[in-house]
Amino acid sequence: MSDISVGAFYNPHLGAELVRAEGIDHLAMADPPAAGDPWWPKIHERYTLLLHDYLGQLSEPLDERSIQRARALAKLYRSPWVAEHFQCLHTEDGRYTLNYVFPPLYTEEFLERFVRNANALKARLDQPLVMENIPRFFDVKASQMPEPVWLRRFFEATETGFLLDLPHVWLEAHYRGLEPRAWLAEFPLEHVVELHVAGVEQDDDLKGPWIAPAEPTDEMLEFTAHAAAVCPQAKAVTFDAFSPSLSADVLFRSVERIRRAL
Amino acid sequence: MSDRALQDRVIRALADAPYRASTEWRGRALADPELVERYARFLARHFYYERIVHFFKYSRALARVTGRRPEAVLSQPGFDALLPTVVLGSRASAQAVAGLVVDHVAGSETRIPYLADLLRYEEAMMVVEAGPRVWREDPEQAGEKGGRGRGQAEKVEGTVLLELAYDLPAVLPSLLQPQTSAPECPPRRTQLLVARSPHGRVAVARGTAAIAAVLELADGKRTLAELAEGAGIEVAEIEDTLQGLVDLGAVRFSTGS
Repeated sequence: MSDISVGAFYNPHLGAELVRAEGIDHLAMADPPAAGDPWWPKIHERYTLLLHDYLGQLSEPLDERSIQRARALAKLYRSPWVAEHFQCLHTEDGRYTLNYVFPPLYTEEFLERFVRNANALKARLDQPLVMENIPRFFDVKASQMPEPVWLRRFFEATETGFLLDLPHVWLEAHYRGLEPRAWLAEFPLEHVVELHVAGVEQDDDLKGPWIAPAEPTDEMLEFTAHAAAVCPQAKAVTFDAFSPSLSADVLFRSVERIRRAL
Repeated sequence: MSDRALQDRVIRALADAPYRASTEWRGRALADPELVERYARFLARHFYYERIVHFFKYSRALARVTGRRPEAVLSQPGFDALLPTVVLGSRASAQAVAGLVVDHVAGSETRIPYLADLLRYEEAMMVVEAGPRVWREDPEQAGEKGGRGRGQAEKVEGTVLLELAYDLPAVLPSLLQPQTSAPECPPRRTQLLVARSPHGRVAVARGTAAIAAVLELADGKRTLAELAEGAGIEVAEIEDTLQGLVDLGAVRFSTGS
């Protein structure tokens, strides 16, 4: 696995440190560069950049404005692939939004919607589309199939890539009382192009662990090494932390530890 | 009910605390109510963390002087007390949360003459951003963009014209620079217009007498000539002003009935 690219998210408040950093192969872009970001030109010149913005929710077709935005950002970043999430976080009428990734119901109707809209988006992009799994904290009784089955059918129908978020899998296993490696084995790992790794911390509202801008634990790194070994097409591993509270120390140490673990 | 409509119910339950407590939602028994409540509270804290960090970024930078970080309110009892009434994205909830931040930061013992103006400005930004938005354009209406050609000019709900005692735009950039004391801000009466596009982009522009007049008169009923007469300015100037306001999201043209 030594040729796998290891990187992080571009956190603009750490721009000065990232411009000088060593040992980071790529940066994922969650937001477009700010107009006044003094570090952006050097970041753009130096790094392989991965488009990982909010493009839209594929429960509905992306409108032309969103497609053009995705195309423009992918071109600006020279991104090798374009990422989106399996998410449905705002209501169709635009009245309610969670402003946080939230998965669809795992039903035939949503599968048909996501397949149709992902295929339409894929046809308009010049780069491959990859889709990221999103954890569900609670089960909704209307779901018709397990998430891994739904994902497998999606990837087979669209031939898009899989951005496998490992903490998301780990958290689902935790809340279901499953062994993470056993739960991971259910997912369509042959489609994985990129892996996300992050820290988890206790959350007072959830009364349990959740993703946090923190270093991955040793357990998460072992899980990462295992996952990388069983995802034969994986090209990149990204430390998935994007927050104004993230420190440079945590970012650099995490990337270094991920690299050592692989 | 379609699965998409059912998903909307789940989203609403997470975003809208009164709906979550209603028999309409609870009677559906779609999910464990305790887990839904935990996740909703987690989402609410995340939702307002992002907005406070973004809209109160100047006060956040000044925390090195005031000792008051705006986002600290999210771990205080006042925010927890709001949670049973919070509707994510609503103007009322934005107003309530922003009010907590203003009270918290204004409670600093450090005297910064323009702090009250700064907090009003940041509060206005956060409140104006709230409200339903267009997430995807209807292809049949994509060309209209609130432009001219139909109906009369109408102020967009939520648009705010702030009257300030200090010229805040003159000091805002320097607030984000590293320093240990608050920079000076010239005392000068200043009007700032804060508006939002249908897609949720908040814009700020300096106010003028023409802008103030148009915003007061643009009720969706007056014609261009009536607006010009009421504001006491030429029709050509009104047209320019209106176009600028449409671009900012402060005014739209009603579609008529």
